Amino acid sequence: MSSTPSGGGSNGPAAVELRGITKRFPGVVANHDIDITVAPGTVHAIVGENGAGKSTLMKTLYGMHRPDEGQIRVKGVEVRFHSPSDAIKHGIGMVHQHFMLADNLTVLENVVLGAERRHGIGNKARERIRSLSAQYGLGVDPDRLMENLGIGDRQRVEILKVLYRGAETIILDEPTAVLVPQEVDELFANLRELKREGLTVIFISHKLDEVLSVADDITVIRRGTTVATADPRTTTARELATLMVGGELPVPELRESTVTDHVVLSLDGITVLSAEGRPVVDDVSVNIRRGEIVGIAGVEGNGQSELIEAIMGMRRLSSGRILLEEEDISTWSTLRIREAGVGYIPEDRHRHGVLLESPLWENRILGHQTKAPSVRGPWIDKAGARKDSERIVAEYDVRTPGIDVIADALSGGNQQKFIIGREMSGEPRFLVAAHPTRGVDVGAQSAIWKQLREARAEGLAVLLISADLDELIGMSDTLHVILRGRLVAEADPATVTPEQLGSAMTGAGLCGDEESETGANDGTDKEENEGGS
Amino acid sequence: MSRTSRPGAPLPGPAVVVIAILLGAGVTAGLDLALLWWAALIIGVVAAFAFVFWTASGRTDDGDPGDDVDEKHTTLHKTLVLPAALVLSVLGGLLAAWALDLQLQEWAAALLGGAVGAGLAFLLIHRLSAMLALSFAAVFAAGIIATAVTAAVLFFSGIAPLSTFERMLEYGTRPNSMVQIINDSTTYYLAAVAVAIGFKMKLFNIGVDGQYRLAALLAAAVGGYLVLPPVISQFVVIVTAVAVGGVWAGIAGYLKVTRGVSEVIATIMLNSIATGITAYLLTEGRLAVEISTNNIGTPPIPESGWVPGIPATFLGSEREIFGLVFLAIAVGIGYWVMLNRTRFGFELRATGQSKTAAEASGVDVKKMIFLSMLFSGMVAGLVGLPQLLGSSHYYALDFPAGIGFVGIAIALLGRNHPVGIVFASLFWAFLNQAAGILPFDGIPQEIAVIAQATIVLTVVVVYEVVHRWGRRHQQQQVGRQLGRTTETTPEPATVSHGAGPEHGSAEGTEGGDGAHGTDGERGGEAK
Repeated sequence: MSSTPSGGGSNGPAAVELRGITKRFPGVVANHDIDITVAPGTVHAIVGENGAGKSTLMKTLYGMHRPDEGQIRVKGVEVRFHSPSDAIKHGIGMVHQHFMLADNLTVLENVVLGAERRHGIGNKARERIRSLSAQYGLGVDPDRLMENLGIGDRQRVEILKVLYRGAETIILDEPTAVLVPQEVDELFANLRELKREGLTVIFISHKLDEVLSVADDITVIRRGTTVATADPRTTTARELATLMVGGELPVPELRESTVTDHVVLSLDGITVLSAEGRPVVDDVSVNIRRGEIVGIAGVEGNGQSELIEAIMGMRRLSSGRILLEEEDISTWSTLRIREAGVGYIPEDRHRHGVLLESPLWENRILGHQTKAPSVRGPWIDKAGARKDSERIVAEYDVRTPGIDVIADALSGGNQQKFIIGREMSGEPRFLVAAHPTRGVDVGAQSAIWKQLREARAEGLAVLLISADLDELIGMSDTLHVILRGRLVAEADPATVTPEQLGSAMTGAGLCGDEESETGANDGTDKEENEGGS
Repeated sequence: MSRTSRPGAPLPGPAVVVIAILLGAGVTAGLDLALLWWAALIIGVVAAFAFVFWTASGRTDDGDPGDDVDEKHTTLHKTLVLPAALVLSVLGGLLAAWALDLQLQEWAAALLGGAVGAGLAFLLIHRLSAMLALSFAAVFAAGIIATAVTAAVLFFSGIAPLSTFERMLEYGTRPNSMVQIINDSTTYYLAAVAVAIGFKMKLFNIGVDGQYRLAALLAAAVGGYLVLPPVISQFVVIVTAVAVGGVWAGIAGYLKVTRGVSEVIATIMLNSIATGITAYLLTEGRLAVEISTNNIGTPPIPESGWVPGIPATFLGSEREIFGLVFLAIAVGIGYWVMLNRTRFGFELRATGQSKTAAEASGVDVKKMIFLSMLFSGMVAGLVGLPQLLGSSHYYALDFPAGIGFVGIAIALLGRNHPVGIVFASLFWAFLNQAAGILPFDGIPQEIAVIAQATIVLTVVVVYEVVHRWGRRHQQQQVGRQLGRTTETTPEPATVSHGAGPEHGSAEGTEGGDGAHGTDGERGGEAK
């Protein structure tokens, strides 16, 4: 790795330079004052927690939306991108986390699709692909049918697509999320090859060990802004993790334990298969008791969503049982589960939690459409729903001019407070809380924590899923780590640090992985000896 | 006007209404002596409006619910809601006076019209919400654009637009024309409601056409072959039509739920199949008998099985209005109640807005798809009945076809709203009827089709634009009211675990784009 470290480059202007980038969305600021300089011919990693603002930033750089403030410079020239094709014209290409390939076409067809003007669609294009493939060591055969290719090959096709369009700077959005370790090694070999050929790679990740092994420069993003740059040769994973997580959050805290012996929800070896038949939730067993908050830590996409959907009856179990106070609810419908007293704070509130174009009082009914006070028999009880909405607005401090305002007009935090108020009504026995404070401002955050704490004191059992490690450590009575659908470790929230948890989540190492196999059900918190990195 | 302008003490609501109505009626009646009745009426209503506005602005602090008060001070309210309210109350008064004029003396009609307009002014100033005003403004703007386009087409064809419009208006408001318009729109209304039920779910029931033709044929056959006592006969015919329509649409729903077949494809196919089946059944020896020398149809339903018409003497016409106009009204009310007041309707709207949210809330989305398709078909089954039971009494080769497609356009025009569809179908029928005079003047009748097509297109586009703008405006409004603190708070406010902003917004954009894409696409298909 003989590339230029950050700032030391003397070979011409930076490949890409971002200055003071700010991007706002209604009610929230997704990015602000971002400053990044990417030296040409390097692999530049951008790391940050889930949702720290990395993807928003990359979308800005790739022209998918425009920044509200700030400048983008490519090779020293200021540019304004109105669409991704503008970005491509300036030599910036992006490989998305989810591949955008047509299975029923060949590699050649996929690559030329939309770029027919460059080299046509025939032999000239084929030759070009062959030569690019050889030049960068990608090993792509233009005539293979896409559906016969594995994940790693597909990713190389995506990279080739970008190269074919003349990109000199390639953005890779979480490229390793879908890869198995060997494929990751191959990818890194490809990246070094690209670098050797003079291309620049921007590599987005939150897997610190990978970043350290491949990057030349590292920029850390936290809560929407750049907080530090680091040199991978002198930085440890632990230091990076500290930069990523930060330490100055208002720490959520549970006072004394309210955990009882009464098990409310019991997951008994549940397994969920993906559409391809791969287990996405793999033999998970947890007991959640009255007055207990059980936290699940994990990098996004390791089966958390599927686990929640299985509990809520939105996904079939392939094996195992879910018991709600001794009753087997594994085959119940979502409605029946909700009627039985299970509240649900969904991870993606816009998709699963609210009707954006309906007024708040109608949103009060959503998910509770068979229960008083919103409904009487087959009829909507408008007065009852309105009255209860007023109550939620008051009790949960939802900042809104009124309950006739459509949900979309509220900020994310206020939407979330309304959802929480709704899900806490009707005295639920069990609550699934997925990222309850995601996208919520600090004030609302502590209000939500307080509500959860109070409900817990009154005997609510909660399954808490979050990407915010402080929240998990502060709020949970019991903490599990999920990795590739399995509960791989159990940590004691009283002693574990975010850094330790973080490294366990990325699989880097909480020693004693085995104990979750045996000890998931007996509920004793075990001291973890942190290997860390 | 000046006589009422005593300043100060807020008046109680009822007093304001009474004074406003008296004012409106009084001014109208007084000026009627000097001016044309409509000019008098406009001035009367405007006077009442001014009075109500004056009292309302004096007492904004009490009275209305909170959000109204907030809306009162926005520029949107000033520039849009108030003018919309004014225009609507004047139009309402004129319409009322014109309708009453058919029965009463001109001065009495004008007086009552003035009173109606004044009452409307009170109601609208206090109750018209910004979103509703936006909708009216959108429709209004669309109407102007469509008229302009039609006028341009006429102009470039070498025909004088104004005289053509005048001619259409004159012919369309003749008593016999009005009866025809009401009868046509009864049929259109049923078809549009059938389509709208699907639209509310984002389901596109193109098959209303096939559904009603098949339903009408079989219902006519049942009515013609089974001789039943009165009332029972009508009932059986109606039930047959509903059942056939429901089954025919239910096939598409079933295929969609179990096999994932697009309802668009399935209903188009079912339309063709329905055409085939009706042709097969409507032959002598099967269901048909000879009706006249070159027409065959089902045997006529005996008179005891007819639904008597309503004499239209109050419109000054000898013809009769379909008795089943009440069926259409009942369907409209039922549709509104179902949509807004029942759990089923809530789930239907929720599913239409966000399938994922509905699913997460325990709505059985597949069941909803099947049921709404079924209901859509059941209403579609009724489409042919006003004609069948009220006028032709048999299903023959010349039974009106293609109403299902008209229904799609009208549902779009009426924004799937039970009342909106009433106006849309009346308007549609008016254009059809009024264009009937044009060939006599040597003007191509197709001008009505151009007008219809333009107005649907403009309404869909303008409405969507205005709606999106209004939504953003509302967001900004709320943001401005509440968001000052969050915007200005330093760093932490940029949000904790920022997944939210990034995630949410990305989602939002995608969702939005997707939805608009579909809208456009569907609009396009409809045309």
